[in-house]
Amino acid sequence: MDQILIQTLHGLVNGMVLAMVASGLTLIFGIMDIVNFAHGDLLMLGAFVGASIVGVTGNYWLALVVAALVIAILGALLQATTLRPLIGRDPLTTILATFGVSLVIQKYALWQWGPSVRQISEPVRGNFTLFHLQYPWYRIATAILAGLIIAGLWLFLKYGKYGIWIRATTQDRVMAQAMGIPVPLVYTAVFAIGSAMAAASGVLFGPFAGVTQTMGFDFTLRAFIVVVVGGMGNLGGSILASIFVSLLESYAAIVVSPAQAVIVSFVVLVLTMLFRPTGLFVPTPK
Amino acid sequence: MLILENVDAHYGKSHVLHGVSIEVRAGEVVGLLGRNGVGKTTTLKAIMGMARRTGGRITFEGRDLQGVPPHGLAGLGIAWVPEERRIFRLLTVLENLRTGLDRPGVTQARRDGLLEKVYAYFPILKERRNQAGGTLSGGEQQMLAIARAMVLEPKIILLDEPTEGLMPRMVAQIQEIVHALHRDGVAILLVEQNVPLTLDAAGRVYIMEKGAVQHHASAAELRADQRVIHDYLGV
Repeated sequence: MDQILIQTLHGLVNGMVLAMVASGLTLIFGIMDIVNFAHGDLLMLGAFVGASIVGVTGNYWLALVVAALVIAILGALLQATTLRPLIGRDPLTTILATFGVSLVIQKYALWQWGPSVRQISEPVRGNFTLFHLQYPWYRIATAILAGLIIAGLWLFLKYGKYGIWIRATTQDRVMAQAMGIPVPLVYTAVFAIGSAMAAASGVLFGPFAGVTQTMGFDFTLRAFIVVVVGGMGNLGGSILASIFVSLLESYAAIVVSPAQAVIVSFVVLVLTMLFRPTGLFVPTPK
Repeated sequence: MLILENVDAHYGKSHVLHGVSIEVRAGEVVGLLGRNGVGKTTTLKAIMGMARRTGGRITFEGRDLQGVPPHGLAGLGIAWVPEERRIFRLLTVLENLRTGLDRPGVTQARRDGLLEKVYAYFPILKERRNQAGGTLSGGEQQMLAIARAMVLEPKIILLDEPTEGLMPRMVAQIQEIVHALHRDGVAILLVEQNVPLTLDAAGRVYIMEKGAVQHHASAAELRADQRVIHDYLGV
């Protein structure tokens, strides 16, 4: 019983971080139909930028904000230079382009920061006792912060002027243009927001396991699984799927080793593709 | 105000428009009649920069539209009400209107005024303002599409088959709106299959066939002599 409670908490915390990564990915896919294979690498780059800032200033929260801003600007530049010229081409071209960007970012990180693991020290210290376990407060703080950031994104999309532009463009880009919405600018902005979400997730996740130049791929993969399971481009679905898959993995870790538990998410992916190809949490038909 | 000169357009490889020339003057309602598939909708899409234009010139108030990006047309004063209506289905009625209201340079007072104005024309939209656009009936969606164009405060509205598939009561209401817009000094390029409505609303009418304008006359002439209509439209 204690173990189930501990694993539930663990799954929820992991799920919230994953939800933050996936929401950026699904936002970009929903509006541009771009499968961004560099998403996890933007997360990694954000984590490195954050680690460097923590190293210099010692201020974690400053690092979180600055890393998100830096990667947002980088994301905007990437979109404008690499992806904008490919709009309207075969989707394969954007997949290849983002894959190329992913490799470039990884090699840059290797060159700039080296192959060793960088630590980001936790801004919230201390543990609390949960049955026989010492559970770090920082993990709880991360889950709450991730939840707040996702809620902020949701409020912005729901009520903000630019949020309405983004939703209108997602649904019908031709009509959005006819209404005077500057769609190319909206694309760039969405890519910047998605990149900032990835970078912030990287800085939040950094203290869990350290920052390495190869951490991005794992996040890209996991984010893809939940985005597909939740229904491509469906923000709410991706968030629910993140929590759902992370909880399943946590519970599986009770019976098998944590490394084997990862298989669960692939099983969920395969089952979803077989039986509910539009996603477990099907969006309202457009 | 809006001038099309010898416009050619292609969809993929098929040549759809063959040298279409049309003029709409400020504040004028101009009808564009023709059977299905003669290029009426493509003519409007060519103006909106959505059909591949391969020849000719389109100018608006003397400005060539060639270099204007698709999202720049609304700012020039051109609004489009497409045949399929293209309501943002997951956005509420109010949010649909906000896509046109949230422009730079529109003060809060003017926004409220514009909303009041379209709500006065279409009270049902006020009633349903928090309902998703996709849940409206066909007629209500048409009203929303027109209202959404109106909040752009356009100089001209390209109105594509607004009465298609609507009940007679709705058709009458759309007809009233066209008259009201005309009184407000908004020019309209009205694509229709409904001949009586077009002859009633428009001052001049172009008749298209096989991707080209075949006939051009005042609505009064066509009302007096319906043979031309019969020849081209078979009604």
